[in-house]
Amino acid sequence: MRVVAIAVFTCVLASCAIEPPKPWEKGNLAKPEMQFDYDRLDTKTQQHIYTSKEGATGGYGVGGGGCGCN
Amino acid sequence: MAVTERNLQLLAAALALPGVMPSAHAQSAPDKGIFELQYLSYRDWQPGRNRMSVDAPACYALIPLSDTWVVEGGMVYDAMSGASPLYFNVLSGASIGDYRTAGDLKVTKYMGDWAYSVGGFVSSEQDFLSRGGSLNLQFFSDDRNRTWLVGVAGTNDRINATNGVAPNSERNSWEFVVGVTQALTPNDIVQSNLTFYSGHGYYSDPYKPLDTRPSTRDTYAWLTRYNHYFVDADATLKIGYRLLFDSFGDTSNTFEASWAQALPWGFVVTPALRFYTQTSADFYMNPPFPSGFVEGQNYSADTRLASFGAITAGAMVSKTVWDGWNVSLRADYYRQDPDWQVFGSGSPGIQTFSARWFQVNLSKNF
Repeated sequence: MRVVAIAVFTCVLASCAIEPPKPWEKGNLAKPEMQFDYDRLDTKTQQHIYTSKEGATGGYGVGGGGCGCN
Repeated sequence: MAVTERNLQLLAAALALPGVMPSAHAQSAPDKGIFELQYLSYRDWQPGRNRMSVDAPACYALIPLSDTWVVEGGMVYDAMSGASPLYFNVLSGASIGDYRTAGDLKVTKYMGDWAYSVGGFVSSEQDFLSRGGSLNLQFFSDDRNRTWLVGVAGTNDRINATNGVAPNSERNSWEFVVGVTQALTPNDIVQSNLTFYSGHGYYSDPYKPLDTRPSTRDTYAWLTRYNHYFVDADATLKIGYRLLFDSFGDTSNTFEASWAQALPWGFVVTPALRFYTQTSADFYMNPPFPSGFVEGQNYSADTRLASFGAITAGAMVSKTVWDGWNVSLRADYYRQDPDWQVFGSGSPGIQTFSARWFQVNLSKNF
């Protein structure tokens, strides 16, 4: 588990060295599929299902509200 | 490099192209609104016995009020029926019928290099009421390739179980998030968030006999997500990892991956896989019930706090139909199995648990 965490963190740091896009190069980044949580209703629904069936909850932002399911 | 008149003209022309105005990480106010309807049909079961069914219509809207003000909000109604476990896989004899109504509203103001959002939310059930508010700040880099996020939310939950256990109980919690989203290349973007949750109050399950949980709960979550767009394939790979530590004693790892493939006639097909694994809470005791229970000490026989692994396999098909309308269908199959715990051994003596859900969404950009 610790190895996985270190590996992912290293990849993130290594990726930061990559040259970011120019303003006219952001067409692909603007596609819905490239955005995090583009469909917020769908994201919230999926997280609610997992929260009600698993021990872990949270990590996807703050302000989602609670429920009596867990 | 000196910025010439020619460079500025080229830049202005490029920004004027459709889809080029950067919205990939929401660093500028969206210029289009969204209205969305959703219907969810959920069912779960254990070997030989159905458990819960949920039907949940929901809606969501995002409306730009001006160049700098955006309001968004949603509502959901969950109608639940079926049976839930009293302890381990022993189900309550009576069929449960309950409903939940929840809504949230958030207003965002864009200030140039930064933005703030103020939100409120409420969730109401027959025996549970949750209310809270949030404040999020976003800071944008000069090149608009990086966004820092700082957020806080406070929640008050009131519990009034219908069986009379622990009447007028409540818990209060705070949540904090710090995160960064970075566009790495024209085809790569990464996001990493750290979230801390701290709560105090009633955390036990009043419908489970002898269930006694700590009155404080802290969780630390680290979530990292990465998207890559394959130009030649016109497809997007999305991967994510979440590591979460809980003061209840359980640690969880979540791995997610999906592939969004664009197809002719406006179709997008997205198969997805999720793998989740958790260790058990310190006070979860293995069967038989109530082995391990000591009066005055924490105890739970809730299998959600056991050690297990879970896999979700799903797919979504979406299509842009006409004039900003989009329809999508989603199907997921989920299964928990103690033998799928990979960071240790799974809890003995509990059954597998399965669920499936279907979802249809209809949205309109305006």
